[in-house]
Amino acid sequence: MMDEKFDCIIVGAGIAGLAAAMTLARNNMKFLLIEKGEFAGSKNVSGGVLWGHDLAKLVPEYWKEEDGGWERFINHRRLTFMDDQSTFSVDFKSSHFNEPPYSGVVVLRSKFDRWLAGKVQEEIDKSDYAMESFIATNIKVDEILMEDDKAVGIRTGEEEFHAHSVIISEGVNNLLTRQVGLQDDYVPADHMLTGIKEVIRFDQKVLEDRFQLNGLSGMSNEFVGYATDGVEGGGFLYTNRDTISLGLVAGIKDMREKQKSPHDILNTFKSHPVIQDTIKGGEVVEYSAHVVSSGDKRVMPKELYKDGVLICGEAANLLMNAGKAIQGMDYAMRSGILGAETIVKAKERDDYTSNTLKEYKQALAKSYVMKDINNFQDAVHMLHNPKMFKDVPNLICDFGRKFFTIDNEPTKKSREMMAESIKEHSSYWDLIKIGLKGAKSL
Amino acid sequence: MKFYVCIKQVPDVDAPIQIKDGKLIQDTDRMVLNAYDASAVEEALVLKEEHGGEVEVVLVGPDKAKETIRKALAMGADKATHIATSGDEDYDSATYANILATFFSDKEYDVISCGKQSQDTDAGLAGSMLGEHLDLPYATNAVGLEAEEGTLVVKRQGDAGQEIIGLPTPCLVTCSNDMNEPRIPSLKGIMQSKRKPVEDVALSDLDIDESSLQPKTKVTGHMEKPEREPGQKFEGEPEELAQKVATLLDEEENVI
Amino acid sequence: MSTLLTHIAISDGKIKRSSLEVLSHMRQLAEANRHTAEAVIIDAEASNYVDEVKKYGPSTIYTVEDPIFENHMNTPLLKALTKVMDEAEPYIFGFGSTESTKDILGALAANQDAAVLSDVSEFELTDEGIEAKRPVMAAKILSDNVAEGDRILVSVRSGSYDLDEGDADADVVDIDFSIDDSEIQATLREIIGASGDKIDLAEAETIVAAGRGAKDEEGQDLINELASVLNAGIGASRALTEAGIMDPSLQIGQTGKVVSPQLYIAVGISGAIQHVAGMTNSKVIVAINKDPDAPIFDIADYGIVGDLYKVLPPFIEELKKIKG
Ligand SMILES: Cc1cc2nc3c(=O)[nH]c(=O)nc-3n(C[C@H](O)[C@H](O)[C@H](O)COP(=O)(O)OP(=O)(O)OC[C@H]3O[C@@H](n4cnc5c(N)ncnc54)[C@H](O)[C@@H]3O)c2cc1C
Ligand SMILES: Cc1cc2nc3c(=O)[nH]c(=O)nc-3n(C[C@H](O)[C@H](O)[C@H](O)COP(=O)(O)OP(=O)(O)OC[C@H]3O[C@@H](n4cnc5c(N)ncnc54)[C@H](O)[C@@H]3O)c2cc1C
Ligand SMILES: Nc1ncnc2c1ncn2[C@@H]1O[C@H](COP(=O)(O)O)[C@@H](O)[C@H]1O
Repeated sequence: MMDEKFDCIIVGAGIAGLAAAMTLARNNMKFLLIEKGEFAGSKNVSGGVLWGHDLAKLVPEYWKEEDGGWERFINHRRLTFMDDQSTFSVDFKSSHFNEPPYSGVVVLRSKFDRWLAGKVQEEIDKSDYAMESFIATNIKVDEILMEDDKAVGIRTGEEEFHAHSVIISEGVNNLLTRQVGLQDDYVPADHMLTGIKEVIRFDQKVLEDRFQLNGLSGMSNEFVGYATDGVEGGGFLYTNRDTISLGLVAGIKDMREKQKSPHDILNTFKSHPVIQDTIKGGEVVEYSAHVVSSGDKRVMPKELYKDGVLICGEAANLLMNAGKAIQGMDYAMRSGILGAETIVKAKERDDYTSNTLKEYKQALAKSYVMKDINNFQDAVHMLHNPKMFKDVPNLICDFGRKFFTIDNEPTKKSREMMAESIKEHSSYWDLIKIGLKGAKSL
Repeated sequence: MKFYVCIKQVPDVDAPIQIKDGKLIQDTDRMVLNAYDASAVEEALVLKEEHGGEVEVVLVGPDKAKETIRKALAMGADKATHIATSGDEDYDSATYANILATFFSDKEYDVISCGKQSQDTDAGLAGSMLGEHLDLPYATNAVGLEAEEGTLVVKRQGDAGQEIIGLPTPCLVTCSNDMNEPRIPSLKGIMQSKRKPVEDVALSDLDIDESSLQPKTKVTGHMEKPEREPGQKFEGEPEELAQKVATLLDEEENVI
Repeated sequence: MSTLLTHIAISDGKIKRSSLEVLSHMRQLAEANRHTAEAVIIDAEASNYVDEVKKYGPSTIYTVEDPIFENHMNTPLLKALTKVMDEAEPYIFGFGSTESTKDILGALAANQDAAVLSDVSEFELTDEGIEAKRPVMAAKILSDNVAEGDRILVSVRSGSYDLDEGDADADVVDIDFSIDDSEIQATLREIIGASGDKIDLAEAETIVAAGRGAKDEEGQDLINELASVLNAGIGASRALTEAGIMDPSLQIGQTGKVVSPQLYIAVGISGAIQHVAGMTNSKVIVAINKDPDAPIFDIADYGIVGDLYKVLPPFIEELKKIKG
């Protein structure tokens, strides 16, 4: 009985893998979820806002749990442009977002993933395969076993396990995706970014007062400009229960060229006068760093499936990193769900070949995931444009400074001020180009 | 040989912790198998592989400690007893030793192994307490074990060096993590662990009246240890650094 | 008026300083609270140490003398300790936290139905018993503890109290002791690596500790030379004791020894919390590590970022010069 085949083996218990596992358990499938970290979430680093409503599909009414895996719901968003001294923010807060299902929740992955894994286990326990489905941690999958170019199982160390299908949800370092031949080995460095993050603790009351939080409401703030010290990328700040997650993502190639380390950039960001005020009195309790992809479609795997295997989440480069916010967890969750639903169908038809599995790609194409990714490619490309993370924020802050200065001189019209700022920071021509591109992309 | 290994679930000391109103809060709630107990399990498994026998783990703790029991079973222990507590109690080493002593009073075994201490509290008491309650010859802080006919040979790290002690079985030993590198459960091990027998025992099954378990010691609060401030860090030419620091140690600190 | 009794541990023909630290504190507590401080020496030649112990001012010194105490064995020691407790009826019984103490403390508490706190870093008397601080969570946190009852055992980390001599006018009471071979089930077959003239790390003024960075022969030579220039004890991280490069008795940290020297030089040690747990109470910490982000630098007073093979030779030369 033990050595019998699994319906599916899922590699990687990140968001995509856990979403897939939950879906399989609910559909009464016999599966194995394998995670190399000591526990689900131990290796995962996200800033993290999990956007969208899919979490409620996986864990209905998750907000009712006393101590669920999430930190706060978002009802307050802010986009901040910064130069070396000033910030200029676009700020939106609405009580419209106060009721569940929330449109976004902040999570700390080491806690959230573990919690979600617990929920998956509960679902396994309720299924027919309570004794035959497993979540196994601290196990690294070394190889996907292939027979006639069809995935038939996995190898870890000396051990081999067989399955009708494999879901690869291994995240951004997608070695197995490459091993099965769905992605080229070479991914250009300018499509890779490093994300680093600090968790900074406050007295909960202080945190709530400082960010005007109410109950479990929370804020997300993205930063463009000085936050990355001239390197392509952006910064973020999210409020957790009694900590904030503060960090940034920065292009690896650009960093290398400018000879800057993520650590230095984060320190520069933190020493900005406005950020200094924001984090005063906090204590850094965690520091972590992780590679994150750019979400450029050009580096997506050649295909998302082949006989017996599907690629979900960031392993498939399903991510959007367009300056305004990183979205990767919600895409990972949706793709995990859709992938698992396809495996369920494959079992019904007893056909795990591409014939059935291609429906995963079709479902993904119909979903908001691929629509978003397709629609925002221009914005993703703009991320590489130095004007976007340098000149434009400088210009906006300069305009802000002029606009808000009252210095006993005749006050100029804002249009004039804008023109002055533009002259100083950028040529009209550049700005028009960016404006056109930006308008088209967003 | 029949081994009982007493295992404890402890908070992961590597996880971030904070203190709120004197209480320790670890909000990731990461609980692990006490590292010293993992070494005790490992050593028992090695001896079993050499000499045959059975390894059974015993844990006193709340429901969520099942996870830790599974870990020991996944490593290769044959079966387990889970003595359930509510999880809200503040038992000290003596309380656990009392419960375990009651459990063992009608059991047969060659060796009871414990960890030399709990990783979170570093108390290092429960093992020898249990030995005393059960009137067993015992040795603590073992860094090596060997089995001979009717005798467990313990190498223990003592004050004056390593003592080689022969203990007639049945006996008790507490294990240091310097003894071995505990195996990481294989996937097969993890899968098999789900089918291994875990016997659930309530305190009432042992005729223990919970109200009689009043600990004589209590933890009344926690505080962060006053942190050492990082001092000066020197980078540069080795010769210069060496000279600079040597001079500072001599002239500023007066410790040379 | 109650008795505050201190156990005086002997190892290698010497009194363990940690016992005298405890005795010093106990005598101060006794003076402040109108109790009496007493001490007990259990050794093959217990009477040899009486004069030295007297200096710390206990009013009574119990001795238990028997050849069986030549080497540490828990059964005879426990039997002696229970006899002493019957005789002296201590309210508080204090120990220095040595390996031999750790071997019997729990068993003695169980035998005497006493409350017990091990490895405390400080303790005071209260109306009901004692209040003590203990490092927990790999010594990241200090916990407050109380122990209540009419018999309380406590062991104290070395280096927690200063030595303090007191009025030297003690009665000496020898306690009759004998043990039959049949009472001892365990057999002590051999002792390996007896420390001989090695410096006891728990009492060392200066310690040079080596980690994985210094694991080869050249590294070891440098460590030895540095230690000999400074007349220092040599310690090690678990990486080296585990690899069999250093004697296990030299391990410093959570599993190993707790030390509190005036000067601690960590060479090629990353500074894992379990190592730091054993050495944060050092007065001055010097770290030599090639990784500028090594956590050891967070607690070092003087951090030298560099390759130990390049830094140690000139460092040793420099120290030689200073030493003249
Ligand atoms: C600093 C930072 C901030 C971010 N902020 C946000 C944000 O605010 N919102 C958002 O939506 N997204 C954010 N992202 C992106 C998001 O984290 C990822 O897109 C998301 O985690 C992808 O999920 P996944 O399940 O595909 O991969 P992962 O979460 O990376 O999970 C992959 C899992 O597979 C395991 N694994 C890998 N290889 C193996 C193997 N061989 N065997 C066994 N297990 C294996 C890994 O240990 C890991 O647990 C951020 C990323 C970073 C780095
Ligand atoms: C329950 C438990 C108890 C433990 N108890 C203890 C204990 O009592 N004591 C203890 O020490 N550990 C203990 N450990 C282990 C501890 O966690 C660490 O693994 C151990 O301390 C690491 O030793 P290390 O610093 O020598 O090695 P590493 O962590 O490998 O560090 C080696 C360091 O040397 C540096 N280095 C390398 N080459 C050079 C060079 N040429 N020049 C300069 N620097 C160089 C490196 O940058 C690195 O920082 C325990 C662990 C557990 C789980
Ligand atoms: N709740 C428990 N369940 C099983 N064994 C325990 C328990 N508490 C302590 N022990 C054993 O006693 C050792 C630790 O003792 P102590 O340091 O006094 O807490 C552990 O390594 C275990 O072997």
